[in-house]
Amino acid sequence: MTKILIIIVIIAILTALGFGLIGMLRGGRQGSDKMFKSLVTRVALSVLLFAFVLLAGAMGWIKPNNAILDAPKPQQAQGGYAA
Amino acid sequence: MSKEQTYYVPDGTYWPIIGSIGISILFVGFANQMHGVSWGTPAMLLGFAIVVFMLFGWLGQVVNESVNGVYNQQVDRSFRWGMSWFIFSEVMFFAAFFGALLYARQLSVPWLNGEGNNIFTPDLWNAFSASWQQMAFFAPGTELQSGSVMSFPAIPAGGIANATPADVVDPWGLPALNTLLLLLSGVTLTFAHHALRANHRQQIIGWLLATIALGAAFLGFQVMEYGHAYSEGLKLTSGIYGSTFYMLTGFHGFHVTIGVIMLTVILYRVQKGHFSADNHFGFEGVAWYWHFVDVVWLGLFIFVYWL
Repeated sequence: MTKILIIIVIIAILTALGFGLIGMLRGGRQGSDKMFKSLVTRVALSVLLFAFVLLAGAMGWIKPNNAILDAPKPQQAQGGYAA
Repeated sequence: MSKEQTYYVPDGTYWPIIGSIGISILFVGFANQMHGVSWGTPAMLLGFAIVVFMLFGWLGQVVNESVNGVYNQQVDRSFRWGMSWFIFSEVMFFAAFFGALLYARQLSVPWLNGEGNNIFTPDLWNAFSASWQQMAFFAPGTELQSGSVMSFPAIPAGGIANATPADVVDPWGLPALNTLLLLLSGVTLTFAHHALRANHRQQIIGWLLATIALGAAFLGFQVMEYGHAYSEGLKLTSGIYGSTFYMLTGFHGFHVTIGVIMLTVILYRVQKGHFSADNHFGFEGVAWYWHFVDVVWLGLFIFVYWL
């Protein structure tokens, strides 16, 4: 659940960044306003997400990447190909 | 109405040929340097110097033309489209590396370890170990390295099988600090952007300086991190983890370097009074780029260390 929330916020950040790009592409005062507002949104969401990830890590809601996949066990290493 | 009135056609310029000569000398020098030819390195440096000279000259000319009011609305639009296509290619570039990271970690390494198919690679090569953090293909009989790195996964004394998460990753160390630095630089850049739109030049300069300093600090810590990782034996050749790790963080660091250079140019241009509250595309392009690089790092931090 926590991971899903994190991914949703990442998508929201990318969306805000995308709207910022559209604003930049449009140009003029209107485009500039749109770009600025989108970038403010993306900065605010990023800071919140970072704080949330650290909080979730501290509370144990998510664990740091274990990064270790199943290491080969000796008995597995001796077996032949599975049928 | 003739075309010339709607579209600015620039005068002829010699910069492209100078750029071509510079790039040619750079690559011929590089190829020869790889073959151990004595003049390879000097030629490379000469080519690089010519390219830098071309960039200063050409971009300086564009800045001058812009400041002198030669450009019209259509040129402005073409700059915006040009930047957008560049950004699109950048997004695809990093998407490919994130894709490689996820594919290797979630799919191919488990497959090599026997998941979802019928071959268990250690049977084929008994030194294979399906570890993500440092998947070196150790020669048979090689002792796995022990030790710990500040933020890098290290293999504990008992070998991979005895590793616990604590041995593997410390996302609270430098990676978190670097994330904080880059996020803060996004905040300071936003303040600079706001100041520019409100025409407060001294504030823009202050916030831009802070952004540049934060970016430079980030780079300094990345160099420290690399030094540590390298001395612990994590290299580009250390299996798929080493390759993807250095590929992603290395290219990201390169982009931060470029961003710092671009922000410095923008700082110089702000001091020169090139931008107004209503007309500052140069600033907007660089600001967007910096926000993008910032988001890439946030993604790196979350996907590499947490998810």
